[in-house]
Amino acid sequence: MIKKNSFLIIKLIICFSMCISLSGCSGAREINDLEIVIGMGVDKDKDTGDILLTAQVVKKDAAVGGAGNGGGGGGDGKSFWNVSSNGKSIFDAVRQITHKTGNRLFISHNQVVIFGNDIAEEGLQEYIDFFLRAHEMRPTTMILIAEKKASEVLDAKPETEKYPAMNIAKLVETSGFTSHFFEVNMKDFASCMMSGTTASLAPSVSIVQEKDNKDIYVAGMVVFKNGKMVGKMNHDEVRGLLWVLGKVKSGVIIVPSPNKQGKAILEIVKAKSKVKPEMKDGRIVMNISIKEESSLSEQTTTENLATDKALEKLQEASAEVIRQEIMAAFNKSRELKADIFGFGEMIHKKYHKEWKTIEDKWDEIYQTIELKIEVDSKIIKTDLLKKPVSPIKKEK
Amino acid sequence: MEAKGRFLCFHILCCHCFDVVLSRVFSIFRDMNNFPMDEKNKQIKTAWEELFMFGYIYRKIRYLSLKKKNEHMLENDQQDREYSEPISSDLGKNLEVIKGIFRESSDLAVHEFNFGHERRFKGALIFIDNLVNKEEIHKNILQPLMYDSLLLKNDMDFTKIDTIRKSLISMTDISKETLLSGLLDKLLAGAAILMVDGSKETLAIKSGKRDSRSIEEPGTEVVVRGPREGFIENVNVNIALIRRKIKDTELCVEKLVIGDKSKTDVYIVYIKSVANPKLIEEIRTRLKRIKVEAILESGFIEQYIEDNPYSIFPTVSNSEKPDKVAAKILEGRVAIFVDGTPFVLVVPMVFIESFQSVEDYYARPFFASIIRLIRFLSFIISTLGPAIYVALTVFHQELIPTQLLISIAEGRDRVPFPAILEAFLMLFAFDLLREAGVRLPKPVGQTVGIVGAIVLGQASVEAGLISPIMVIVVSATAIASFAVPAQTDSGTVLRYIYLALAGAAGGFGVMMGLLATLMHLASLRSFGTPYLWPVAPLDLSGLKDVFIRMPLWTMSERPKAIIWSNRDSYNQSQDLMPSPYRNDNNDSNQREQGRND
Repeated sequence: MIKKNSFLIIKLIICFSMCISLSGCSGAREINDLEIVIGMGVDKDKDTGDILLTAQVVKKDAAVGGAGNGGGGGGDGKSFWNVSSNGKSIFDAVRQITHKTGNRLFISHNQVVIFGNDIAEEGLQEYIDFFLRAHEMRPTTMILIAEKKASEVLDAKPETEKYPAMNIAKLVETSGFTSHFFEVNMKDFASCMMSGTTASLAPSVSIVQEKDNKDIYVAGMVVFKNGKMVGKMNHDEVRGLLWVLGKVKSGVIIVPSPNKQGKAILEIVKAKSKVKPEMKDGRIVMNISIKEESSLSEQTTTENLATDKALEKLQEASAEVIRQEIMAAFNKSRELKADIFGFGEMIHKKYHKEWKTIEDKWDEIYQTIELKIEVDSKIIKTDLLKKPVSPIKKEK
Repeated sequence: MEAKGRFLCFHILCCHCFDVVLSRVFSIFRDMNNFPMDEKNKQIKTAWEELFMFGYIYRKIRYLSLKKKNEHMLENDQQDREYSEPISSDLGKNLEVIKGIFRESSDLAVHEFNFGHERRFKGALIFIDNLVNKEEIHKNILQPLMYDSLLLKNDMDFTKIDTIRKSLISMTDISKETLLSGLLDKLLAGAAILMVDGSKETLAIKSGKRDSRSIEEPGTEVVVRGPREGFIENVNVNIALIRRKIKDTELCVEKLVIGDKSKTDVYIVYIKSVANPKLIEEIRTRLKRIKVEAILESGFIEQYIEDNPYSIFPTVSNSEKPDKVAAKILEGRVAIFVDGTPFVLVVPMVFIESFQSVEDYYARPFFASIIRLIRFLSFIISTLGPAIYVALTVFHQELIPTQLLISIAEGRDRVPFPAILEAFLMLFAFDLLREAGVRLPKPVGQTVGIVGAIVLGQASVEAGLISPIMVIVVSATAIASFAVPAQTDSGTVLRYIYLALAGAAGGFGVMMGLLATLMHLASLRSFGTPYLWPVAPLDLSGLKDVFIRMPLWTMSERPKAIIWSNRDSYNQSQDLMPSPYRNDNNDSNQREQGRND
């Protein structure tokens, strides 16, 4: 009995050790053998027509040296390495980089992919394939368009962050404070591209020279039609788009005060939108209703704005601002002939029979769309002050 | 190309074989703990034969080994038969026989004397030096016999041993022995044997005290709140400690003697009206089956009676604390006391018990619940910590948050070893330090700890041999492993297994290991109680005391899986929730009385 069991145990141990050795260490890769890529830039070499790929790689010894030397970072003071290589395609370039790094690039932690302006104009279609196909890439990687060259953006060393790519990702992630632009990742971009009618957007980054330091600045969004860059939208226009999409998280609305002597500054607290397409005898009307809540966060007049009358006027004014922003965005999109709102998809969903007849001439029909905008703007609080800080006037 | 094809064929073949083997193994796993025994044996045997086709050779070896065993046992039986003869009435002959048995051992004291009226009777007192209290013997046996009996009338017949017992000896623990073997047992257990010439009976008089440690706080189970007393090496004191906690006539203490040479007293203690009679019967049979030379510690008993000797998980719990053991006895469990050790065994044991501490019940339920959750967490950390670290850093770097990955990479930059080796080295060093610290005398042990901490924690990191995060992981593991004392052994084994699996197959390996562990745990039984009760099989009333500790007044049922027979019994009234104003008759009466006073 005992002997039998002991054989059984030996048997089990043999089986399990076989199990372990069969799998081997095939998937193993030590961290030391990886170059952790946190950002990638794609540019075009004007002379040869090749792709110039820049990868931002983490320097691993930076922190170890830096800890003792007072946080300055070791070596040349940089904690990253921008390594670039030419290639006929992106994958080709990625593999060619190993000639310079010695280790394989590990791109699972890639935060941003920045395309140069020339590539954006040429069309992202042929360049984006690798980023969606490679198994190490994440579909949540952000897409950005550089105003000039992508490699320059990756070079700009931020003051507080260690890595430019991380800094850019952070910049874009915090877009909610102003709602002047928004985060676009690979998956969003690709799904917009595949829809056919909806134009895709991507934030545009530029470099601003401030004294002796280069700062990265997100200027607005680039509009793509069929993968090709057709134009740019400024901050207000982008917010107009976001109002319609219901993606405004926060932001600032500036309206004149009721007595026109100063300004009232409102902070957006909450915003909702509803879009209903309507088709009547071949004409398309989009009914957009927006519910917005804001708080009075600053005022530059001595007038007491915390009265029912004043608040009502402010609400009307802010509704007007929102309406204008939406119209600005809509006009821009008509100008660019790009359906940035995704109206085409909405109509497709609701009127899928009629859609077939208008699908082909959508670009022309888009120009004839009417917008009916209803804005319900509410000021729900005045923050800590009830009256402005000014000498009290006696009312008669 | 051809080579590749061949390799593929080989690979497929391997996989197929492996599949077959695996399915066999799992079938064995499944049936391993099923009753009845015969079927289990058959299953294993057939699987074994099919697996390696060495059935014939295997049977042959087994036959030979059994034959040898049988012969051995027969020899032993003959040895035992020697002393089972009655005592003769001739004192001189008896003394010679006993002296012969002891081979003139120097600590055997034989005191011959004459007593009675005109010193007509011959007697002898035999005892083993140092096992008896000589003063008591002098005062209570020899003095009355040799001096007081002179004054008695001459018609008293002292060849009748009962007369002596009743009229002369003023001690309580006396038994009559008529067989030589019984006499020898008593003699070795510390009794003085009184023999009288002409009598076939002898008296075994237990005298005096045993040298034993005083009752102290046990080192293994220190509590902040709760009784500080702990069991000691003297089993009689230990049982008295339990008697003091459970003052009930239903508390049964059964005695067994185990060990051919050590003749260790083993007591089974339980509450008759609560404990499952089948459980007690099972324990009795398992204890009686132990045929060994010596039982030196309760660990011996544990290893001879446990359900699954090849499991890394203990199925018999032990404790040094009377309050803990008493609580378990009250729940319907059975305690096994072994003479000579402060560790008392309690069966059946369930896995959850390892995470419960006596203090959980003395503290209020909220804090106790948090602490218990922390214990669960710490068990997970202590077994899986290094494995998950290795799996993540070697196989699944994409699962680590970017910033964390960068700091790990920065820390590992100068480390020359692969992560798995690094982890093994650190764990080995930790276990080494722990072992060295425990075995060495206290002052030296502390030095070892300090040296270890500096060498491992600091110097090795500064030298770039070990990454700082590895030190954090291993030290967290080390600390966590002490939070669940009952599972420290199994946790250590599991830690190495999981680490090996993680190094070989990453997260997949860890998952396979976890799955195998879970299957094994679910198959375990401890004296008929499922090891994972009350989680699997699910018992909602039992869950009150698993992940969180519900208030005491809600736990009015005894654990069902342990007491089977009277499973609906309550250990307390069901309506005990305290509240200041209650419309209870008794309460209001008392209150009024108080007011009147």
